[in-house]
Amino acid sequence: MASITLNVNNKEYTVDADPDMPLLWVLRDKLELTGTKYGCGVASCGACMVLLDGAAVYSCQRAVATCVKKKITTIEGLSEDGTHPLQKAWEKVGVPQCGYCQSGQIIAAAGMLNKYKRPTEEMIDQVMSSNLCRCGTYHRIREAIHIAIEEINK
Amino acid sequence: MKKTSIDRRRFIKLGSLASGGLVIGFSLPGQSLFTQTPFDCEYFQPSAYLRIDKKGKVTIFVAKQESGQGVDTALPMILAEELDVDLRDVNVEIAPYGTLKEGEHDTGGSQSVMQMYDVLRKAGATAKAMIISAAAKHWGVKPEICAADNGTVVNTANMARLNYGDLVCDAAALPVPAEVGLKSPKDFKLIGKTEKRTGLKNILTGKTKYGLDTKVPGMVYAAVLRCPVQDGKLISFDDSALKDMKDVLKVVSYKGTAAPMHVRDGVAVIATNSWTALKARDLVRVQWDITVGKGVNTDSLFKALEERTKSKPQIQVFDKGNVDKAQGETFTAQYSEPFLAHATIEPMNCIAAVNGDKVELWGGFQLPDWAVNTIIKEFGYKKENVKLNLTLMGGGFGRRLHFEPALEVVKIAQQFDKPVQVIWDRVDDTRFDAFRPASVHKLEAKLDKNGKLLAWQHHIAGPSISIMTEGPDTKNLAENLGGADKDFWYDVPNVRTGFSSVNFNINRGWLRAVEICVNTFAVESFIDEIALHLKKDPLAYRLSLLEGRPAFDVRQYGTIVKQEPQRIAGVLKLAAEKIGWTDKREPNHFVGIATHSFIFARAYAAHAIEIEVTGDKKFRIKKIVGAIDCGLVINPDGLRNQMEGAIVFGLSQVLKGEITVQDGKVAEDGFYSYELLRFDEMPPVEIYTVDSKEEPGGVGEVGLPTVSPALCNALAAAGMRPRNLPIRKDGYSWS
Repeated sequence: MASITLNVNNKEYTVDADPDMPLLWVLRDKLELTGTKYGCGVASCGACMVLLDGAAVYSCQRAVATCVKKKITTIEGLSEDGTHPLQKAWEKVGVPQCGYCQSGQIIAAAGMLNKYKRPTEEMIDQVMSSNLCRCGTYHRIREAIHIAIEEINK
Repeated sequence: MKKTSIDRRRFIKLGSLASGGLVIGFSLPGQSLFTQTPFDCEYFQPSAYLRIDKKGKVTIFVAKQESGQGVDTALPMILAEELDVDLRDVNVEIAPYGTLKEGEHDTGGSQSVMQMYDVLRKAGATAKAMIISAAAKHWGVKPEICAADNGTVVNTANMARLNYGDLVCDAAALPVPAEVGLKSPKDFKLIGKTEKRTGLKNILTGKTKYGLDTKVPGMVYAAVLRCPVQDGKLISFDDSALKDMKDVLKVVSYKGTAAPMHVRDGVAVIATNSWTALKARDLVRVQWDITVGKGVNTDSLFKALEERTKSKPQIQVFDKGNVDKAQGETFTAQYSEPFLAHATIEPMNCIAAVNGDKVELWGGFQLPDWAVNTIIKEFGYKKENVKLNLTLMGGGFGRRLHFEPALEVVKIAQQFDKPVQVIWDRVDDTRFDAFRPASVHKLEAKLDKNGKLLAWQHHIAGPSISIMTEGPDTKNLAENLGGADKDFWYDVPNVRTGFSSVNFNINRGWLRAVEICVNTFAVESFIDEIALHLKKDPLAYRLSLLEGRPAFDVRQYGTIVKQEPQRIAGVLKLAAEKIGWTDKREPNHFVGIATHSFIFARAYAAHAIEIEVTGDKKFRIKKIVGAIDCGLVINPDGLRNQMEGAIVFGLSQVLKGEITVQDGKVAEDGFYSYELLRFDEMPPVEIYTVDSKEEPGGVGEVGLPTVSPALCNALAAAGMRPRNLPIRKDGYSWS
């Protein structure tokens, strides 16, 4: 057990946690930031994705101790009021069904757009194939990503 | 205690009860929440479905459980339409458990809109009529000269206006009218026009709380080691490896229970956080008696099912004409479908807090009354001492019709003095699912020398669902997997269908479109095979068997429903037109089509799929067209989203999905071994809707059953005929 200081969504949190505890569970059980979802725990579904210094990572695979002094962004902190270009595009297209996987989907796309302003179709395919949607909203996710790409390149 | 059983018939019965007259929430006995006195007018709540406060804020309570199908939008739209309020100003909440009649929370069978359409229109119109009466009284005019307009009442004589909020106290004091007028559909402002999901913004900002996100003060977390074999027994366990783990609070064990839910014997590790519970669980050493699982293998099951279809069915489900007298060429085929898991991305979970003789639960349930009644029966709680808090669900697809997590967590929470959340990890969720049963189908047709289809026989063998939930004496054997308990849409003079139950020791349940899906794959593959055998165009052949056939009544799940062959022909033609059925195709491009009726949800759908063949058993999906006729559409974009999603669900089934069992243990353990369709595999899709003024039907399951046969029929057009799902089992691959 250790006292660990984290920067989540531009806010400092000090938590008492096992250094090996995955960031996912610190976010969900200790900080009660439940927008980051548990789906598999083994990097197979992408529901747990967060941005670590701007890159999308599986928070179920990151021991909390390795996240110290990094900028952690969860879906709750992606924008002040849900107006990130991806959130706006998701809203415009009406992507979600149950919505459970969508925070991970948006974060995966955000990580991609942080790195590439105009990703190719192949890059989009490759990046977004990390994230499962059982309701089957892939068609809409692709459409929303393209709207967001247009928006950020305006 | 009355036997708690549930099946699709119950959805239908409740539907007809709920929409059968003037029964709306406020007439319930014992629901003091809705008996308002003139002095109690903080808000106006004329029924369980809506409340209007003094500021005019409207809250609509959604009776059906949201798991992605969009009832949180379609149902409020129906009510808001008649109430004449802007949906964007409406607050949408889950109808709290217990505020509705038993069964009314139940969600399944694509029934939500059908069951609630009349009820919610009346609820909205009744509230509006009372508000208008209150305004008329205030102005001293006749109600007839007052009109509702977007949350206000207008006095058409002098154009004075009052907000709904100003009228709630007066309206609450009025008697509830026995009859109210409803809008003419031509005056609809909301119904039929696309609305964004009401909870959309919360989903996109991470604020939406699902069952697993629910936090209760003081709560702790439990992970369970379950017996790997159904009906196996816990012999002993050793948790000494956990003794120095500070976050581990307690290790408890419990005995499993049989039907309806088949909870397995378990050892639960209770901890201060989910991760410790899951991690510590792996360190507990357990001895199980799993001899009951020996020899329980899916490989041998399929052999047994195939063998079983060779003799007479255990039960005859439907019989028309006389198939034995039909003389002609015999044409047969056999198809098989595997066990399937639901694989909701939110794994199973439930919270329980036990306090003496009281228990409170939090979680997502498709059939909350079944869960509560079973808890009462199995644990002996009094009905008034069981409190259930319903949550949103991260996917349902029939998985949350079952409620083993609720029973487990009560067993655990009875041994701990804090609220406990049981969390299933992905391995648990995959291995301990209630699986859609495997089946083998034998089909036999008789063709006269002109190729006329004289007789049709369909024998399905598989482990039944109803035996699992109701025990071996079930009376619903035919309904839960028999499926073909009715005359189907093609005009064949002699039809006989039957079902044989072959036991297999693994838990079974309903998965999206269940028996409709299972049967449609066989039926729509076989009709296609007959057409190709006769060297006829599969579309034209289907249409020839539908042509001129009038609508007819069929008995399904104890209710009479209408089968409308011309609506089937309609969706077939629509899908064919949009895929360009008669167009000249590029080399190695082929199309396949399939159709079906989902008549207990008054809906019809077809899919047409174009593929490019890239080698032997290798192909690429170029385009999928879905066509649906489900009567009046409430939210067109909601419908499209469901239809698109059903294609993805269907592709996972036809290409990949299979649960296998070895010695009673499920082999697959998550998304690496039980694969779902991924983003880069998504083909272009187009959805088309028949413009219809018929009564609204259902959508959620309707777009699923024809995906598999349409793809297999496209492959057959290219000279390859897959007969076993998933098709990769027989060496097919796609890119």
